[in-house]
Amino acid sequence: MDELYPEIVIAGCGNMLFGDDGYGPEVVDRLKELALPDNVKAVDVGLGGPHFCFTMLDNGVTKKLIIIDIVDFGAEPGTLTKLRVEDLPPGSYRDAHSWDLTEPLNRLKDFVDIMVIGCQPKNVPASDFEIGISKEVEDAIPRTIQVVLKEIGVNYGNS
Amino acid sequence: MDEAITLSKVVEVSPTTRHEGHSKLVLKVNDDGIIERGDWLSITPVRGVEKLAIGKTMEQVPKIASRVCGICPIAHTLAATEAMEASIGCEITEDAYLLRLILQCANRLHSIALHDILVLPDMYLPGTDMKINPFTPEEPVRSVAKRIQTLRMIGQTIGEIAGGEAVHPSNPRVGGMYKNITPRAKAKVLDLAKTALPLAREQMELMIAIFNNYKKRDWAEVGGKEIPIPQDLGYHNQGYMAADPVYGSTSLDENPRWFPERWTEVRPWDWYMGEEEITLEDPSYPIGGTTKAGIKAWPQMEACTGVPLYDGQPVEVGPRARLVTYKNFDQKGAMGQNIAREMEYMDSVYKIIEAADALDCSGPVLPDVIPQGDGSIGWAANEAPRGCDVHLAKVRNGKVEWFSMLVPTTWNFPTCSRALEGAPWQLAEVIVRAYDPCVSCATHMIVVDENKRLVAEKLLE
Repeated sequence: MDELYPEIVIAGCGNMLFGDDGYGPEVVDRLKELALPDNVKAVDVGLGGPHFCFTMLDNGVTKKLIIIDIVDFGAEPGTLTKLRVEDLPPGSYRDAHSWDLTEPLNRLKDFVDIMVIGCQPKNVPASDFEIGISKEVEDAIPRTIQVVLKEIGVNYGNS
Repeated sequence: MDEAITLSKVVEVSPTTRHEGHSKLVLKVNDDGIIERGDWLSITPVRGVEKLAIGKTMEQVPKIASRVCGICPIAHTLAATEAMEASIGCEITEDAYLLRLILQCANRLHSIALHDILVLPDMYLPGTDMKINPFTPEEPVRSVAKRIQTLRMIGQTIGEIAGGEAVHPSNPRVGGMYKNITPRAKAKVLDLAKTALPLAREQMELMIAIFNNYKKRDWAEVGGKEIPIPQDLGYHNQGYMAADPVYGSTSLDENPRWFPERWTEVRPWDWYMGEEEITLEDPSYPIGGTTKAGIKAWPQMEACTGVPLYDGQPVEVGPRARLVTYKNFDQKGAMGQNIAREMEYMDSVYKIIEAADALDCSGPVLPDVIPQGDGSIGWAANEAPRGCDVHLAKVRNGKVEWFSMLVPTTWNFPTCSRALEGAPWQLAEVIVRAYDPCVSCATHMIVVDENKRLVAEKLLE
């Protein structure tokens, strides 16, 4: 049976209805335009990462999970950071889900190498929908893609 | 004011856990801890999808609708797409419908299996006083967990084949589907569904045995205490609303099975309790205890959703509503609802097989002409895993003039609130979870440190 999630999974998290929160899915959209190796799958998981993806990776096939998401770490908007699951304190995923991100990730991290590539957002509206990624975060998308490609061992000879 | 009410104590569980989204319970209880009035409400502020949709293209709005919730993108994509089609008067081809039906049932298959994980920790291994941890490496639970994961994987994989993507489906579009699937993909759908069939049956039978066992139990352990389980846990006398046993109905149907004129809406202010002081607290309640005494709760101000009514009454939507309406199912209460959900396993898989068998992979999935709309109102009621998901739209010249979403759990909030009455407050969440609630998501963000201290050291260029 073919596996839904292959050896390397890139999960773009976020919601394009909340400004810069659309960053993760947007990165995945752009990644899909590239020729990725067969053992890599980029998925726009939206807000459903914990339900649809992270709890499905105990499949014996997936070895690496790269999460692309906005991260508030007090830096300038558009700044990128790499985080490990260990860097995420319990409850660090401030979202509307009771089943938060860190719980399934902590369960997963013993057999899947997990990395978070985060971008400091500029504009995340609190409760009113607003579509559009800020220039700072938009500018971070190509850099994010470079980081991801390096992480999965793809080199197009331009970096 | 009624004397009995003034003597009640008020306890609050906030947030409720092991379901999608943020909600809370404000419960007035008597001296024995029995709920006299329960308010279950959404505390997730999500606003503006209706406003945002205005002026957008009819292709864009289903994409927007699919993003209001992390766990129901398939249902919202289908309901919104079909609301657009209903407004513009566009019939889809048979093969487009079959692909959507496969997607719908694959989504339901995954959803039932996911709910099994969420509900199992409340349940006991039959014949023991041992609660079930679905993540334990110990048998027999481990094999059950593996079976659940296989069913989820099959549901998602079939969904990905028919829908184009595993999470946010990209294949459905106004007028039908972007692409039909190849004969090879169709064969894979059939293979996967046939693999799922015995697994779904075993899983259904086990879960029903577990729920029936719970019904027979005298008590359940909550926060270190043995709480008596009433025979009528989660019973209510409200009606049911379901547009179809499996798929849905739209205003284009010859005999529509949802009736907009029967729908009204009440403001939370007119429905929920006024301001109340918490007077009962229990620090041993999982997870982290109930809200501390002395804090105020104000459900009518805090509730983030309106209260939709059907024939002037709250109604239940979801698996039991479908089974009661179309299959004479008659089990009440929280366990009856859980059992109804399990009973949908088989139909989900059989319908995938039937639809894939009937699918002509070379048939068209788009009509020759897609009308652009004259501003007529159209609606689509999709029977999502959690219940009837109604979207309404007016489209003119390809642009959306008006859009509204009546999502399943919004229907269930007031119904479930009534189902709480008579139960010990400690079991309120068992009743809530039987509805498999999905409270619309807002945004999310990883916050590395509450003080925004720069913890992440490795900055990238």
